[in-house]
Amino acid sequence: MKHVKQGLSHLILLCSISIVLSCNNNSGNSAVENKLDTVLTGTVTAELTDAPAVPKPLNYTSPKKVTVQLDVIEKVMKISDSTEYTFWTFGGHVPGKFIRVRQGDLVDFTLHNMPDSKLSHNIDLHAVTGPGGGADATATAPGQSSHFQFRALNPGLFVYHCATGPVGMHIANGMYGLILVEPQSGMAKVDKEYYIMQGDFYTKGKFEAPGLQDFDMDKAIAEHPDYVLFNGRVRSTTGKNALTANVGETVRLYVGNGGPNLVSSFHVIGEIFNKVYMESGSEINRNVQTTLIPAGGSTMVEMKMEVPGVYNLVDHAIFRAFNKGALAQIKVSGDENPAVFQKLK
Amino acid sequence: MKYILTILLLTGCFDVSNAQQKKAVSFEKKMLKIPAGNYKPFFVTKSNKPIKVAAFKMDESAVTNTEFLLFVTANPEWRKSKVNRLFADSNYLRDWESDLIIGGKNINIYNSPVVHVSWFAAQAYCKWKNKRLPTVAEWELAGNAAPKNIKYTSLTEYILGWYKKPNLPVLPNIKTTYQNVYGLYDMHGLIWEWTFNFNSFISSGDSRGNTEDELKAFCAAGSINVVDKTDYAGFLRFSYRGSLKGNYCIANLGFRCAKTIE
Repeated sequence: MKHVKQGLSHLILLCSISIVLSCNNNSGNSAVENKLDTVLTGTVTAELTDAPAVPKPLNYTSPKKVTVQLDVIEKVMKISDSTEYTFWTFGGHVPGKFIRVRQGDLVDFTLHNMPDSKLSHNIDLHAVTGPGGGADATATAPGQSSHFQFRALNPGLFVYHCATGPVGMHIANGMYGLILVEPQSGMAKVDKEYYIMQGDFYTKGKFEAPGLQDFDMDKAIAEHPDYVLFNGRVRSTTGKNALTANVGETVRLYVGNGGPNLVSSFHVIGEIFNKVYMESGSEINRNVQTTLIPAGGSTMVEMKMEVPGVYNLVDHAIFRAFNKGALAQIKVSGDENPAVFQKLK
Repeated sequence: MKYILTILLLTGCFDVSNAQQKKAVSFEKKMLKIPAGNYKPFFVTKSNKPIKVAAFKMDESAVTNTEFLLFVTANPEWRKSKVNRLFADSNYLRDWESDLIIGGKNINIYNSPVVHVSWFAAQAYCKWKNKRLPTVAEWELAGNAAPKNIKYTSLTEYILGWYKKPNLPVLPNIKTTYQNVYGLYDMHGLIWEWTFNFNSFISSGDSRGNTEDELKAFCAAGSINVVDKTDYAGFLRFSYRGSLKGNYCIANLGFRCAKTIE
């Protein structure tokens, strides 16, 4: 009996080892397969927001089917106070709607191109695992819709953009936005979340030349932008439109860079990032002054606001900030904090 | 007979002067001879080589709503209420009031290009006229000819100018943009036009290199552009055509017919 028991336990041990081994043989895949086996627990429609707003943190803890519909809208908007530009947009603004889903969700995605669009458009979401990031499935003529599904396998903050030829032109006209895939454990709670996206623009006229300005292909190819902007407009996020926070609050910025050409040296004047989710991946860097955001990439930064005042967000390739528009602001209200900073007479 | 019927319909339905309409319907559309040429795509692959195009004839302008009304009058199966959904989606002739009435509120579009028509409908119209749709090569050869009656810096600039302009509330009449050296009106700047083999290139939606054709097109778009900017607007047209299906009916998409010279 004892032998039988021992034999049995040996057998169990052997089995466990072989299971472990077989798991190790395809370790990456099995984790994914397990996730894909999970039964979806209902359907939700994703909350979509225009910058600088961010959808509310997700309150569910098991994968769902998430419905997302984005409308492609070609429209004339102000790029500066007295300058207009024909933008091509995901949802009517630049950048496009912020999408928030959770790792493991099945995203049911519809792209609708408005009937009065002149051109065909599609979407490549960097959060997609599959051909063209969805572009392959979404070539959409004016007035038509296209539909595909993808599984949000990897957590992170991902750029999406139009990938219809000529791709550079579609991106240069404002066709990009961000999709956040929250890790299964969720994002740590912070006091304020904002959405900022940088992009470079190329116009026939110089910076802030008045009137409706045409796209300039030569400047785009030469990578000589007239505008480098946060959220698609000079002064989109300054003065009365500045972001706000109170002393003592932790602010998280979801920052994307649509490009098409420039890499951003993202910096907040007078603050140090307590945390940088490097390139929005899983590595966290701390105590960072300036962080790089690749074109077609993103970052998540967190900072605790200690001292009241106006803080400028810039691309620290600094001519872009002061001569091309790459400047946004956070207004921090609250009591002075002389232990941290005080101006002396 | 069908002309008389239509004129009766028009005059019966509206109290407006139809002099212009009568004039429009009483003449066969003028066709122009496009001389033989070599259509060179803006990129070259095994399946996308320069094509010799034989001389052919092309309608001098896009088919108008009034002209299309004659077609659906004579061919009931192409009326709004009767058309097979396989051949025209639900936007077919969307702006028309009903089967045989363009509509009183649409008085300004009688002489505008008919849009919201499918490839099948366009091809059927041309066949009815004993014509056919132009091929991509024919259309591009004809469309790339220089304007002769407008000031312009480059055709590409002109075309990009149209793309960036929001749609006007009412689609302008034919012959309101420019005439090219062949005598063709409005090849750019008014509408997109169906071609016979619109979907022979970029069958997938992603234009960044999933096939050899796409790869070449994608790479060529940047490099060739420096030499010849016209090709850049050509790339936009290829992307647009690549997203179409034969039954699509779209606000900016109409057609004109062509004919082989026997």
